Amino acid sequence: MNYAVETFSLTKIFSDWWGRSKVYAVDNLNLQIKTNEVYGLLGPNGSGKTTTIKMLLGLLHPTKGKCLMLGGQGSDPKVNARIGYLPEESYLYRYLNARETLDFYGRLFKLPAKVRKTRIEALLDMVGLKAVANRSVGTYSKGMARRIGLAQALINDPELLILDEPTTGLDPIGTKQIKDLIIKLAQRGKTILLCSHLLADVEDVCDRIAILYGGKIQTQGQVRDLLQQTNKRQIITDVISDSTVEKIKELVHAENAECEVTSPMDRLETFFIRTVETAQRQAQSTSGAVSTTKISDFLGEAKVEGILDKLVSSKVEQELPENDVTTEQVESSSSAIPEPNKQLLSELTGSNVTDETEKVKEELTEKVESGESQEAEQINTDILNNLVNRPESEEKKDDPRPDKQSQAGGDGGE
Amino acid sequence: MIRGQISNLKREAMAVSSIWAVANNTIKQVLRMKIAVVFVILLLVMLPVLGISSTGDETLKGRLQTFISYGLSLTSFLLCILTITISIYTVTNDIKEKQIFTIVTKPIRRIEFLAGKLLGVILLNTILLGVFAVIIYSIAIYMPKFYKATSSELEQVNNEFYTARASLPIPYEDFTKQANERYKKLKDSGGLPDDISRADAINEINNILQILSRSVDVGSTLEWEFENVKPLADSIFIRFKLEALQDTPDSRIYSRWIVGEPHAVKTGEGGKTPVYVEDFRNLAETYYEIEIPSEVIPDSGKLSVVFYNYPSNNTVVTFPKGGMEVLFKAESFTSNFIKAVFLILSRIVFLACMGILASTFLSFPVAILLCLMLFVTASFSAFFLESFDYLSQNVGVLYSYTLKWMIKILPQFDKYNPTKFLVPARLVSWTFLGQCIFFMVCIKAFLLLILAFVIFTYREIAKIIV
Repeated sequence: MNYAVETFSLTKIFSDWWGRSKVYAVDNLNLQIKTNEVYGLLGPNGSGKTTTIKMLLGLLHPTKGKCLMLGGQGSDPKVNARIGYLPEESYLYRYLNARETLDFYGRLFKLPAKVRKTRIEALLDMVGLKAVANRSVGTYSKGMARRIGLAQALINDPELLILDEPTTGLDPIGTKQIKDLIIKLAQRGKTILLCSHLLADVEDVCDRIAILYGGKIQTQGQVRDLLQQTNKRQIITDVISDSTVEKIKELVHAENAECEVTSPMDRLETFFIRTVETAQRQAQSTSGAVSTTKISDFLGEAKVEGILDKLVSSKVEQELPENDVTTEQVESSSSAIPEPNKQLLSELTGSNVTDETEKVKEELTEKVESGESQEAEQINTDILNNLVNRPESEEKKDDPRPDKQSQAGGDGGE
Repeated sequence: MIRGQISNLKREAMAVSSIWAVANNTIKQVLRMKIAVVFVILLLVMLPVLGISSTGDETLKGRLQTFISYGLSLTSFLLCILTITISIYTVTNDIKEKQIFTIVTKPIRRIEFLAGKLLGVILLNTILLGVFAVIIYSIAIYMPKFYKATSSELEQVNNEFYTARASLPIPYEDFTKQANERYKKLKDSGGLPDDISRADAINEINNILQILSRSVDVGSTLEWEFENVKPLADSIFIRFKLEALQDTPDSRIYSRWIVGEPHAVKTGEGGKTPVYVEDFRNLAETYYEIEIPSEVIPDSGKLSVVFYNYPSNNTVVTFPKGGMEVLFKAESFTSNFIKAVFLILSRIVFLACMGILASTFLSFPVAILLCLMLFVTASFSAFFLESFDYLSQNVGVLYSYTLKWMIKILPQFDKYNPTKFLVPARLVSWTFLGQCIFFMVCIKAFLLLILAFVIFTYREIAKIIV
């Protein structure tokens, strides 16, 4: 199997001035990150996460073992051309403004001037810094610097994105945007190595995680497998009558199980985003980054689709897969409720609930689609192709997830 | 085959574009971080002030010489310091502030990164050097107008400042053979002191023979022949200094100079060109210049110069080492000035490479101290090397195998000092400039750069933080 990132007994020993071994920063690490996987590297401070990343990128030499990225060494420019890296802090040139910063990194990737220009504008738009793009980055807040750091990591449309503590210093909206972006990029075939100690971030986006301690992997696996409480079930519904609740309770008791019924709480993150969105709608001024609020809105528009497509160079999905629908629901302030188990719910309450949900979903989908004719979609695709300078056939060839996307497209048509 | 060549060309063009991106960023860094500002302001203020305040010996030539000497030295010194500072700052700062993490993880080789930094530093300093050279040149050219110089002053500066004179010194004679023979004779006759070594004795004899070859007995003549004397102007000059073995009656030395085509000078007849004959009385230990019309020089460029020591002096007259030379205009002041600027540029390129090398393995303060120390040593290399000769033999051996060797590896900035040429209006020959560029840039700076590339390619950029 081809792995995007692979390490073989990777070891880094910290030596003192006399060359005597002192600390094992990374100890015999064997990582295997599959292509198109969002992999989270977790661990407390000093557990060896950043050291591992630095060895991958060739910034540190392994004491023992070796590591490969996209089949090559981290110090190989050919490999580097396909990688995006956001360090633990956005190390930027204070005297350059945002546009110049991105232009500089674009030049290092040898991007032609036209491509560079369109990508820079698209990225500035995406990270919400277009309004302050002519200010030197030395005057940026930490969160704004983080956004521009992320933009530089994406300028080459990387196949592998290495993000070291990407949400440090970001406000909750920025954090959420990054998380949504990670999901989107993964859907479009990118591999993402995420290194963080903010567990909530990792939990939301990662397919697999590894927990490091003392430079060794303590545990690793699918997030769902590691976290799911298989001995419990959770049912979430819209508002239902007390009599229905009683019926459910009876059904549950009939299986000798305990049942607790409460109203779910909003997550503070959702509440915060809603409050800021309200302020933005009232057009209150800010000198900071403009939160482009909802990434899903942002992606639905022709222009924005162009931006993302340019970034990820993949075929534009006609409809977002299930995860995105959930995200859209959170952002449209309906609720932060996880998707219910439809089958179980229909068994418990009859088939009405499922029908209703699907109806609502259909309506929503239709409403969104009604704004875009097929012609418009074709134009968008043309613009995208122009922006990324690649013919459609090649684009399709590059598409790493054709099955998944066509499936998603098919769902949208139903 | 052709496709392969095209792809190679493309790859090279791409490498150049990354190097240019880094160079461009380095220039922005230096300008926007205001590192160069102090130096630029200082020079912009100091150069015109020097133009006004330089008085020298109150003559126009003196003013010009003082101005060009201080102006060019100051510019050279400040730009050298600036080069050292920015070449070290730009690399060490990127490492310290960790911007380098986001650069070397992009498709750019570390060599390209360093080359970009170097290019930025050299380009910026070249532009600054160009600007200040133009300012100095303009002030030097317009100075006679500011001071409303008289025609005699103008003639003097035209002949002795706004020119580039080639210098033909007394031809060197090798007396080693004679010295050995004399040593053997003295040793056989027992005429040598016991405590003198063979080498010292031969050296001493050689020195005496050299002095004798430049000495003229009472009522005798001394003749030298020069070749390739092809002046661009109407006059040539003989610059000399005399030393008398004993005091002369009125503290002056009476002499006759005869200059012309060799055969005509010897026989006094048959020459197509006139022979210059003139008597002088000069003070000892003082430099003089005699102006001689160029018409005395035959087409062959061969010239004979004869010095006659008048019997009335009643003493042997000696020319010290470098005490006689024929000077003639070989190029214009402008071309000489440009070549002098290239001498400074060579220095800047070397220092930039040295700074880049130091910054690949040292922190900013350590690297800058090391480079400043080496800069001072290279600027006074002749002085340092000479001083080792005065050390006692034991200590001298120690130094000659350590420090002396190291100083010799460094370029000799004092040897290639441009003011040494422009002040006395001496020609910076193409050979001399080529020699400077070849040794200082092509060999020494290049080696430093290779070393920098090797160190930077294999070093760990990040530090382990546990």
